[in-house]
Amino acid sequence: MKRYFKSPWREMYVMLGIIAICYVAMMLISAGTETPPGAPISAMKICGLLLGFFLLSFGIALVAVIAGIGGGVLFTPIMLAFTSVDSLIVRATGLIVAMFSGLVSTGLFMRQGLANLRICIFSAAAYGIGAFTGAKGAIYVAKYLGPTGDGLVRIALGVILFLLALYFIIGGKKIEWPEVKKVDGFTKWLAFSQPYFEQSLGKVVDYPVTRAWLMLIVIVVVGMLSGFFGLGAGWAIVPAQNLVMAVPLKVAAANSGVLLGMGDCVAVWPYLLMGAIIPMFAAPWLVGQVVGGIVGALILIRIKAGFVRNILIGIMFFTTYGLVAKGLNNMGVIGEAPTWLTLTILVVVVVGIVRSVIKTIKAQD
Amino acid sequence: MEKIQMPRAQIWYGEVVYWLCLVSAMICAVGPVISMASIDNNIMNPFAMFGAIWEGKKAAEVWKIAGGGFPGGHFYLKNILAGDGITQAGIALGCACALPALLVAAVCFLTEKRRAWLWAVLAVWVAFMIAYSMTSGGPPSH
Repeated sequence: MKRYFKSPWREMYVMLGIIAICYVAMMLISAGTETPPGAPISAMKICGLLLGFFLLSFGIALVAVIAGIGGGVLFTPIMLAFTSVDSLIVRATGLIVAMFSGLVSTGLFMRQGLANLRICIFSAAAYGIGAFTGAKGAIYVAKYLGPTGDGLVRIALGVILFLLALYFIIGGKKIEWPEVKKVDGFTKWLAFSQPYFEQSLGKVVDYPVTRAWLMLIVIVVVGMLSGFFGLGAGWAIVPAQNLVMAVPLKVAAANSGVLLGMGDCVAVWPYLLMGAIIPMFAAPWLVGQVVGGIVGALILIRIKAGFVRNILIGIMFFTTYGLVAKGLNNMGVIGEAPTWLTLTILVVVVVGIVRSVIKTIKAQD
Repeated sequence: MEKIQMPRAQIWYGEVVYWLCLVSAMICAVGPVISMASIDNNIMNPFAMFGAIWEGKKAAEVWKIAGGGFPGGHFYLKNILAGDGITQAGIALGCACALPALLVAAVCFLTEKRRAWLWAVLAVWVAFMIAYSMTSGGPPSH
């Protein structure tokens, strides 16, 4: 019981109190505000939108933190499907959605030891170089690559991701807690080792990691692809850490959130400085991510790694669909993927995740 | 439950980011209330702004319709008492929170018993990338 009066619960109560007061105040103010003649939207409607954005953002943050992805993977298709908001504003606000759940969960993961700062800084330094090179090279290379080349790369990435998702399905425990037979000299020299208390197992876990040199190359390539195509990177960073460096899945998901928060602090500023982030529109998304991020982090610390694996597999399949559809569209094979199809696939993936999570819970009981 | 001592750099990085993020979120929760309470005390008129966004107007057009043009990303510095000025300050604070956290982590790396020069340099390198991004401006490539 005592723990509910300590950090992070204490801050949560204050946050929730402030948010409740703010929304009640906004509703009262909006109810008493006369909408100017000719105004395209009423004060109450603005208030309703802000509340809706906050709630939706809270839900997205929960899933994003547990899977170690940026919430943009879920935010962007939803916003593009249901609203007519300009795509640049959606992408810029999507970065806020992608980074803040990762940023706020950083504190909890660092205290707990679930995330490893050295792995995060190591990856962020490499990722930043790759992303910068990719973004700068995009215009130059696009001249030679053309839409067909762009489409082929996207389809290739989609196929790789699909195969990774299949491997995650059959990999089982080997994915959740990888075994390391030999640690190379370079990785040993970097001294990544950091034991932590794993709550779901009730014991201290010390995980050796390996192949840091290969991870360096992979992260630079992931950064380049991310910068080049403007893709989020969470879906690639978690499997990369897990499969290349043998980082346990839960630690990889926590590291990915921390890394996305750190990396997106670089990526978000050009959007902020060009006015693509509209303050009053982005604010409720940010607040929702912060509150949802704390709750998501508390859940991730306690759950078994199997949950993370199930969620990640679903997201990998959804991202595969996005990459292949966009790739085929760029090659002129198909038209723009219809919204109803994207949403149907998203719903199928979500239902699949929920089913497998329920199955995991039953199996554990 | 066994207690494991985490490295100081890790704890400090997490704490700085966490608390700055919370302060940023609190400012962003209060900002829109101020915007709605005093509609005239905003850079952008909220009615026109939401209307333009919902009509699918581009960012530059939204700023033009609702506020007469984009005043620059750091406009909150001169308009800190305006509703959206406060909100933008909250967003900017959150978007920069990894910068001081990395610098604090670098100091921790250097004051450890076995000085971790490599990690301090890498932390400063990432902090430099954030600082560069905050000041260089310009539209992104995509």
